[in-house]
Amino acid sequence: MHEMGIAGSVIDAVRVEVTRRPGARATKVGLRIGEWCGVDVESLRFCLEVLVKDTELEPLAVDIDFRAQASDLDIAYLELEE
Amino acid sequence: MERVAIEKKVLSENDRIAQALRQQFAECGTLVLNCISSPGSGKTSLLERTLEGFPPDTRVAVVTGDIQTDNDARRLARFGFPVRQITTAGACHLDARMVEKSLQGWDLGRLDLLLIENVGNLVCPTSYDLGEESKIVILSVTEGDDKPLKYPGAFAKSRLMVLNKIDLLPYVPFDMEAARRNARSIHPDMEIIETSCTSGSGLDTWRQWIGERMRSRALKPS
Repeated sequence: MHEMGIAGSVIDAVRVEVTRRPGARATKVGLRIGEWCGVDVESLRFCLEVLVKDTELEPLAVDIDFRAQASDLDIAYLELEE
Repeated sequence: MERVAIEKKVLSENDRIAQALRQQFAECGTLVLNCISSPGSGKTSLLERTLEGFPPDTRVAVVTGDIQTDNDARRLARFGFPVRQITTAGACHLDARMVEKSLQGWDLGRLDLLLIENVGNLVCPTSYDLGEESKIVILSVTEGDDKPLKYPGAFAKSRLMVLNKIDLLPYVPFDMEAARRNARSIHPDMEIIETSCTSGSGLDTWRQWIGERMRSRALKPS
């Protein structure tokens, strides 16, 4: 239910990184999601898709590393191209 | 293509505020408990019975979260202790900023205990640190005894499980032993207290548990 808020925080963080690198565009974001953090991965993917649509970030690939019995909720990496 | 490591918590802003709150609570010696459960497990009833049992000079306050209405705050205010309602207007959980805002104007130095009643939801509140000392999960016997397996996050992160409404055990097919086993399969050190807010059973144990945590909090060097 709170995936949209989580997705919003991910997009904010991506924008911060992109702004730091003028001329670069984000192509992929890597997330680590633990089983215990209460995030539905498919719902999060959907929310990210919605937030990226028709913006300068589209298309943005999302790589989710789902971890059993863990509480991670991290942005691991961002891939950019010039 | 360039890959940059970000290694940042998605909820880093929430975590930053929660850490600041935690430090403030520690400096003031305020024990903060974040109560989580599904809707209807008896969080408000448990808090009512808790407040009812405190002497009037107890330095306790309650922050209660709901999506709509201030019904819970009105129920809890009857006992004469400070109560504030957070109405999230749609959000399915409390976050640290909401708690920070709700505390404005309260002198934490004059509070030994702050009870936070989260929005009724076993999933989303587990992601949001509120700066609490412990999370407490409440499971009532009218729910399934396999809930710890279905919603492992809430049980993994809680120090204590309160098994509530035990007066209804004769009428429902709830297996207490299975509930305990399931909770401990997720969280082996889970402390468990059985309560009924109707009969009063177990409430002394619950109050003692809070009292012990308050004392250990007060003794902790700052």
